[in-house]
Amino acid sequence: MRRFDPSRRVFLRGAGLAAVGVGLAPSALMVRTALAAGGGPKLLVKVFLRGGADGLNLCVPYGDSEYYNLRGGIALQRPGQAGGVINLDGYFGMHPEFAPIEPLFRDGRLAFVHAVGNPAVTRSHFDAQDFQESGTPGDKRTATGWLDRAIALIPGREVTQAVCFATQQVRSFLGPEPVLVAQTLSSFDLHARNWRAEAETLLTSMYQADASAVGATGLETFEAIGTLLKAPTPPPSNGAQYPGGSTGNALRQAAGLIKNGLGTRCIYVNVAGGFDTHANQLQNNVGDYRPLGLALAAFATDLGALLDDVALVVTTEFGRTARVNGAAGTDHGTGYAMLVLGGRVRGGRVLGRWPGLGSSQLFENRDLAATTDFRDVFQELARSQFGISDSLFPGYTPGAGVGVV
Amino acid sequence: MGMLDGLIEQVTPVAAPQSLGPRVAQHLLNRAGYGPRPGQIQAVLDQGLTEWIEEQLSPGADPELDTRLAAFPTLGYTTSQVLALYNADSRTINVILDELTSAKVVRAAFARNQLQEVLVDFWFNHFNVYVQDGFTRYAIASYERDAIRPHVLSSFRELLGAVTLHPAMLYYLDNYLNSAPRTQGGRVVGGINENQGRELLELHTLGVDAGYTQTDVIEASRCLTGHGIDALDSGGNYLYRPANHDDGSKQVFGLAVPAGGGQGDVQRLLDHLAAHPATAHFIARKLAERFVSDAPSEAFVAKLAGVFQSSGGNLRELTKAIFGSAEFWAEAFSAGKPKTGFEYVISTLRATGAELSNTRMVKTTISDAGMPLYSCNPPTGYSNLGSDWLNPSAQLYRMNFALDLSAGMIAGASADVRALIRNAGGDPESPASAAEAIDRVVFGRTLSAATLGAAGRVSTSGSVSVATRVAGLLFASPEMQVR
Repeated sequence: MRRFDPSRRVFLRGAGLAAVGVGLAPSALMVRTALAAGGGPKLLVKVFLRGGADGLNLCVPYGDSEYYNLRGGIALQRPGQAGGVINLDGYFGMHPEFAPIEPLFRDGRLAFVHAVGNPAVTRSHFDAQDFQESGTPGDKRTATGWLDRAIALIPGREVTQAVCFATQQVRSFLGPEPVLVAQTLSSFDLHARNWRAEAETLLTSMYQADASAVGATGLETFEAIGTLLKAPTPPPSNGAQYPGGSTGNALRQAAGLIKNGLGTRCIYVNVAGGFDTHANQLQNNVGDYRPLGLALAAFATDLGALLDDVALVVTTEFGRTARVNGAAGTDHGTGYAMLVLGGRVRGGRVLGRWPGLGSSQLFENRDLAATTDFRDVFQELARSQFGISDSLFPGYTPGAGVGVV
Repeated sequence: MGMLDGLIEQVTPVAAPQSLGPRVAQHLLNRAGYGPRPGQIQAVLDQGLTEWIEEQLSPGADPELDTRLAAFPTLGYTTSQVLALYNADSRTINVILDELTSAKVVRAAFARNQLQEVLVDFWFNHFNVYVQDGFTRYAIASYERDAIRPHVLSSFRELLGAVTLHPAMLYYLDNYLNSAPRTQGGRVVGGINENQGRELLELHTLGVDAGYTQTDVIEASRCLTGHGIDALDSGGNYLYRPANHDDGSKQVFGLAVPAGGGQGDVQRLLDHLAAHPATAHFIARKLAERFVSDAPSEAFVAKLAGVFQSSGGNLRELTKAIFGSAEFWAEAFSAGKPKTGFEYVISTLRATGAELSNTRMVKTTISDAGMPLYSCNPPTGYSNLGSDWLNPSAQLYRMNFALDLSAGMIAGASADVRALIRNAGGDPESPASAAEAIDRVVFGRTLSAATLGAAGRVSTSGSVSVATRVAGLLFASPEMQVR
């Protein structure tokens, strides 16, 4: 399983790729280290809103009159009205709780991609999450996650190369590459006062002798302890103020990692909010989007010029029904909206092809149709941030993308 | 009666260790329960593995546990009582939920009927509800006590019926808002909410790959219309409202429900789903994953699914079939299945023989390890796969729990590791002797030479005792991470 023997890691990379059928030639394993103009390594941050976040109330098509017919009492008002959306381009507006990130949209560092989806339509949370994170819609047997395949192609072997803020490993990282999964990076050390060195040495020898995934996880833990003790997470810069809660905490630590220069290339923030809004959607959205907007704004402020090295994508597993249901909520749907933030993002725009909300334009006369394959956007981000041009998605050749980076 | 006749011999590797007994007894206690307490491996061997399993399948009285649970008087409160207390003083809900989570820890750590506690945990997680979800927090104690616990060794259909119409579930999956659209004062009110209808098919019975369609989801949801809760702020009881029920005919995945069935529609639907082969297969696989391995063979799953069908979904027969299988016993010789955070913490408390005076720090560790109690937000429940629980952060919390517990640093949990070693015939001042004693008494002699060797090298001087060091290392070892 996951070991820290470099020769074995090379083997595992090759084996992993062969197993998923990407079929890259060995020379293709050597990709250039994508460097930002500022010279730092480029990073990709993926923020996953679990539960199916409603794209139609996140990036609102207020210019489409059908929106108001379909959404009834849970429609968000036009810009300028009380509780109205923040105008983006005269047709779309973002949820009012995203006011903290409005300046980022105005100065071109924030974009939306609308009507994104997965061609193997499923309204199961579990399957839709699985398809997006494996990157293989319709195939649940894929052994690796798309980010595991991506970081396998990046030089370097630090345990902090990929960091996942979550209580559990996520499907996107499933596979042989080491990933530091943590909720908090502070006090990341053994509790063995007066015998700490001995405890670490002896425990390390136990885990070294264990050839299973348990042994590998133990060794990753000791490596992470060593790295993080040497470089404690710095406090927020530039007066950035993060909101309380797990999203703010995760993005604060993510910015700290980036500022620390520990070789981190990929960060994942899992957001287990109340996005599955079958009932009382307006109230639930405010509860989730307020901390998200504040956290994203603080993240950008905190990083300052380093935001040039970052592309952050906010995604979810599916959108929700276009019509309001009987409980002031919406049920599981199809097309959704992504948000992309970064210093070199071609922002200030709502990208993608808008399919419309007319009954013949809706998918199965119920959901926003998906017109952009999520894999095209992910590949575009991997190309920009990691310099990866070969497909990360077995059996699929991504298109040029939507021009977001 | 010989349910195990020849089984263990059949699966034993040729180069097996000399003494198999402790290893297989430890395996049984790890899988059918939350791990051995000191002395329990020998006690189970003395009693006989078959006899112990039979006893676990027919849980008897447990007065010692009852005495411990007497410390949590709100466990027996009805949802109406909980709401009344909350309405009088909103702080009471914190006490009530604290007692619920404390009781979960105490039961798992001390219950004689270990299998029952594992099954309650398994089935609660299968039919997950989330404690932070509004009204659910007032009804969750009743949900576990009244809908889950009485049925884990009875029939799947009874369990499914109790769960589906319990107010905690009806709220969590929004079915209390699911109604036929009606016209009121010239405008349409209500409408189908398909949340519970979908999860009933996907997560509770058939499984996502059974081949049902979006139409089936809506038709199932129509069967569920009108089943709700009398009042969310008082009462909190199940209530069927005929006016909210869609009484037309329905077609759900091969079942024709004629018009006019009213409140009985849901019962017909549950009968159909509980008897469906896809449900048998889905439940069989999930149980096989819990008790046997992350990747059970298709043949084994099919065999269990056959037991499910031939027994009419009898959960005692199904559970018994797992312990009577070669697949289950072969796992005693495998690398083991990684424990969840909850399993790790409880098994460590049990192995050290710890007493609990309060559970606050124990529950904090369980949360830090990724499994806050009753707090899995999505309806999928926590992952059944051990591999999903392996990550550096959880690993660090686990190792620190072992080190802290052995050093007496977990407030409310006292573990006397010197006594543990001495009672097992070891010398608490001698690293090698102490390690050997712990290996024998709670690991069933399964510790590797590397693990024993490392524990045998601890320093015998300094302010931290040999017993604390050896126990801390062994309970933080790779072997303790798996069951």
